[in-house]
Amino acid sequence: MTMGKFLVRRILQGIFVIWGVITVMFGLRAVSPGDPATLMLGEGATQELIERVREQEGLNEPIYIQYFEYLQGMVVGDFGYSWRSNREVEAMVIERVPATIELAVAATIVAIVIAIPLGVISATRRNEPADYGATLFSLLGISTPNFWLGLMLILVLGVWAGLFPTGRRPVGFGQAMMTLVQYGSVYDLLVWLQYITLPALTLGTYFTALITRLTRSGMVDELGKEYVMASRAKGLPAVLVRYKHVLRNTMIPIITVLGLQLGTLLGGAVITETVFNWPGLGLRLVDALGARDWPLMQGIIVFIAIAFVTINIVVDALYNYLNPQVREG
Amino acid sequence: MKIADNQKLDRRALLKLTGAAGTAGLASMAGCLDDPSADDDGEIDELTITLSQFPDTIDPLDHITGDFFDVYDHIYEPLFDFEPGEGIFPRVVDDWEIQEGEGATELYLRDDVVFHNGDDLTAEDVAWTINRTVDPEMGVISDIGSFGLGSIEGAEALDETTVSVEYGAAPGLAEFEFGNYARALDMQWAIDNHDAENEAISGADPEDFNGTGPYEVVDFTSGEEIVLERFDDYWGDEPPFETVIFNADGESNGRVNSLRTDATDLTINILPEDVSTVRNADDIEIRRVTSFRNIFCPMKNTVEPFDSQEFRQAMNYAVDNEGIASSVLSGYGEARGQPIAPGINGFNDEIEPYEQDVSMAESLVEESGYGGVEIELTVPQGRYLNDAEVGETVADQIDQLENVSCEANIVEFGTVSDANSAGVDPDVIEIPFYLIGWGTITGDTDYGVQGFFTIPDNEARTFDDEELSDAILESQQIEDPDERRQQLEEVNRLAHEKAPFLFLHTQESIYGVREQIEWEPREDESVFIWDME
Repeated sequence: MTMGKFLVRRILQGIFVIWGVITVMFGLRAVSPGDPATLMLGEGATQELIERVREQEGLNEPIYIQYFEYLQGMVVGDFGYSWRSNREVEAMVIERVPATIELAVAATIVAIVIAIPLGVISATRRNEPADYGATLFSLLGISTPNFWLGLMLILVLGVWAGLFPTGRRPVGFGQAMMTLVQYGSVYDLLVWLQYITLPALTLGTYFTALITRLTRSGMVDELGKEYVMASRAKGLPAVLVRYKHVLRNTMIPIITVLGLQLGTLLGGAVITETVFNWPGLGLRLVDALGARDWPLMQGIIVFIAIAFVTINIVVDALYNYLNPQVREG
Repeated sequence: MKIADNQKLDRRALLKLTGAAGTAGLASMAGCLDDPSADDDGEIDELTITLSQFPDTIDPLDHITGDFFDVYDHIYEPLFDFEPGEGIFPRVVDDWEIQEGEGATELYLRDDVVFHNGDDLTAEDVAWTINRTVDPEMGVISDIGSFGLGSIEGAEALDETTVSVEYGAAPGLAEFEFGNYARALDMQWAIDNHDAENEAISGADPEDFNGTGPYEVVDFTSGEEIVLERFDDYWGDEPPFETVIFNADGESNGRVNSLRTDATDLTINILPEDVSTVRNADDIEIRRVTSFRNIFCPMKNTVEPFDSQEFRQAMNYAVDNEGIASSVLSGYGEARGQPIAPGINGFNDEIEPYEQDVSMAESLVEESGYGGVEIELTVPQGRYLNDAEVGETVADQIDQLENVSCEANIVEFGTVSDANSAGVDPDVIEIPFYLIGWGTITGDTDYGVQGFFTIPDNEARTFDDEELSDAILESQQIEDPDERRQQLEEVNRLAHEKAPFLFLHTQESIYGVREQIEWEPREDESVFIWDME
């Protein structure tokens, strides 16, 4: 199969997945209890007002007409208006994307910076204390629930030690960089770092543990191969063999997992964002759920689905490019 | 070999140094970054207030939520000052005069009030805003109009500074309503920029706010933060802080953590279990007040078994609301036996809470003919002080009766809100027994009872009783304040006797505040910066 055909097939599959998400979301909205008009109007609205809003919003139409109108809107990028704020859902989603991307990328960086050296050390010092320590760290990292870790970090590093703030995002990365470029001041950047450290550690810990394990097992596999022995026999320094040859070969599956996990992080930061009051898509989703603001909920979930599918396609394409066996298979 | 060992040592040393430097760098961030909110002399010039809910609508008329008022009252100031238990006082409205027999009051405005965009405030602005609030055809279906200004029919500008407000109830009631809920929007600005006669004001820029309040918006990040600065051309006294920032955190412990780490200066709705955390911390303290918010469980009397007065009274006798207030709420509540709280016009001092009497409850259930019945109490989570725990305790105590089984069903607040506004049609009712709270913030009994009990034009009522409804309607037409208060006391006595609710308690409002800030919380839950020092 050519690269073009492969991409077309994956994009079509992606569109089908997104349509499925939209349909399931609409179905859930249709079967969930509570009258949308009452939700919009709040406590104690009169029947007359409720009826008027039902008429205005097309809620008296048959469900399939509501569905097709909704689908039609989605196709042209019209996600509707938030029931609560009366703002365009697209705007409400897009304004929260930078915070979520910042967090996802920071968590990924935390994972890469910690996990890869740890995995290498663990693999090259098998059955030594460093290996036991790294394995224990991986086990704890994978087993510790996000919300608990976040709360503990808040308690220990935020409240007791007073080193980090316990939540919110007073400045974004973009603004921090603008301050740096325009005024040569690192103040905003430091504030940003100070606020993102705990959420990034919380979100990145599971990911760190996962990559540590992957790196270790990949390295152990590679270290047993003949080319490693040949390289050493040729007189290459051990460090060069490990980091230039062995780690490079181990990186292919790690990069794949990194890409896929980035998609998961974009959609999976709900708990971390809630614990740290980090104003990203996850927190907005929780707010929308609390207010039962269905258009906003649908918009966020569809956006996350699109992001996830897109990242998957890009990663698949890269993997396909790097490893033609996939394409041929 | 030796060389190799040295290299290894060097690399390790370098790694250690790098790690130590990184840790020290991160750890010193807090120290490096000075608190910008304090002057050199330690005076707070920038105040941060953390609410439990960030305003998700920017139209000041499109809500009826306490947290939203806390923000918007500083931008779109109230036309009157209101003191709980005392009444209304001049503010933007300098004076007012009831037009005897005409169902109207004339409001006389100050002539030196300007909007943040520089436009002068006129009577036309005030009249238009009142009309937009009460008329659902004018841009927004306003809960403030439905509830707060329920008896107000409209307003008209008589000249540049005189507004006539027309109403369909007694002047005393109307005064409670417009005294609390009347605000002013800049009519021309709202129409030109936001088509405000046809839709709600929306947007996400500071320019989308334009009131006459002591603070103007300088920065707005939707869902995150709103930054206010003193309005230089404000007609009144200069407010105490140059900058005020409002943000929100839905979790009580999150708000408390913000307070402990100096990220905020004042926060609302602290749960009893977090009180000791604040008390044990330095420089911050708890301030509390018994609010105007009662917590109760409506029982819709158009469905079984709640159609029996004996059964409803039995539910009240089954529950130890004094015990709940002292244990589940750790004393942050007072048991109550009527729909409204003390300090509200019409509160009946002679009515005591129902005292728990299990045998009385069981015999009343038998009298009602519903012995052996199974019921469910639907309870919201996270809306009121320890609401889920209160609901579970109530259900458990009812379940202790030998002839009633009761379970609690914990749900999102929206479900309870729907149930509360679903009316009394037995074919529609899905949840007849639920826990909810109501803040009678106007300080008048009418606001606490008319939405629940009056029958004409009130599809959303929760109780169907002609006698109680008539008593309330009669009170709305009484002009003499003393006579009206007596009638409202009678309404509360009737409500106690007919038991449309399982009466629980009046909850306390608990705030965490930086010690330096001089401020006392109000019964009506309003947070006014101008009350602070």
